[in-house]
Amino acid sequence: MKRYRIAIIEPASVIGEGIASMLAASGEVEVLFCCRSIAEAKGYTRSHDEVEILFVAATLAPQLSGISLFDNVPMVAIQSTLVDNETLRRFAATVSIFSTTEELLRTLHETLDRAAEPSYSESHELSEREKDVLILVARGHTNKEIASELNISPHTVISHRKNIVHKTGIRSVAGLTVYAVLNKLITNEQL
Amino acid sequence: MNKINYHSPAASLAPDMKIFELIDAYPVLLSVFSRLGITLPFGDISVEQMCRRDGHSPELFLLLCRMHIDTSFRPRPSELREDMLLSVVGYLRATHRYYTDYMLPHAGEHLDEILSYCDELSRSMLTKFYSDYVSYIREHLEEEEQTIFASVESAAAGERLNLASLEVPHSDIDDRTNDIASLIIKCLPEAAPTQLRCAMLSHIYALRDDLRRHYNVEVALLRPLIAQTINTSKQ
Repeated sequence: MKRYRIAIIEPASVIGEGIASMLAASGEVEVLFCCRSIAEAKGYTRSHDEVEILFVAATLAPQLSGISLFDNVPMVAIQSTLVDNETLRRFAATVSIFSTTEELLRTLHETLDRAAEPSYSESHELSEREKDVLILVARGHTNKEIASELNISPHTVISHRKNIVHKTGIRSVAGLTVYAVLNKLITNEQL
Repeated sequence: MNKINYHSPAASLAPDMKIFELIDAYPVLLSVFSRLGITLPFGDISVEQMCRRDGHSPELFLLLCRMHIDTSFRPRPSELREDMLLSVVGYLRATHRYYTDYMLPHAGEHLDEILSYCDELSRSMLTKFYSDYVSYIREHLEEEEQTIFASVESAAAGERLNLASLEVPHSDIDDRTNDIASLIIKCLPEAAPTQLRCAMLSHIYALRDDLRRHYNVEVALLRPLIAQTINTSKQ
């Protein structure tokens, strides 16, 4: 079974490691890294593309502004102290230090499901990752094959495909193939 | 003179309306006339007079007009009569011909003209895409004609009507039509004149809207009529 790849940034090790071990024990999750600061997280550059969901201390919210560390990765706030609603609104969801494993997993699933819905406020420019997915779609790969090729979960592939459809306005594979060729993302010979 | 309620177009049509009033308020209905084989001029006659003159049911004519104006309009079961079935099939057949003989070739001509300004790759990709799209629609229409329409016409000639053979699988024609519009809007090189592109887009959107009306007539008029006819024959 494909496991969801997560990362955790939490200054209190006991909280970060606690959430990491609870989620890892479920068998559904692979913790790519668990660190104590944004600066430390920057060191895990090789993992950034693979992170599907980021659990991060709500208290670190001010430091997250303007950081493009994890493009398009949904962030779940870890709430261990009182945090104002304005801060929490910057996150896709919230878990607390009292959350059970079931609650953590439910939040994870719901957040990924919501992330898979197309967002109507973003730019219509395809991201680099979406272009990668589009090229593989044009070459006739299935979602499963694309997930394996790009080392991401099928969930994330579906999310990218929804975004591609929303941004291009094109639904059929044949139409997306024409779009990819005409925009020079792929040559006719590479199809 | 009847007042037309523009806020509730489907509800406002009535048998005593003058044809001129109807067309003047809803020019889009001209295609309903042509698909029913009704020709100009109309003089000063009413809907009812025109229908009696040309052998059409005024009730069915108004239902088709309402569905043409408003794609969300659904006739009530009490408005459906089995003797409308054959006329509805005739109307749908004429609509198919309108797509295959006029709309699709005409859009193809627009596209050819636009593509003459494009490079070889764009030309070959879009030509193939459009040609596949046309083939797909033609196959879908032919399948409907050979299954549903043929069964209804055979039933009119005395054969038993069987609903099991009348289900046409859902198609993604609407998505494919939108794909063509998106590709024209987003991908064609600037060399293609804007006026030509706009003409092509207008044509494609007109086709898409008409296909939606067509689908609504099939789902909300043809199928209930078939089901009603089968139920009656069982009784």
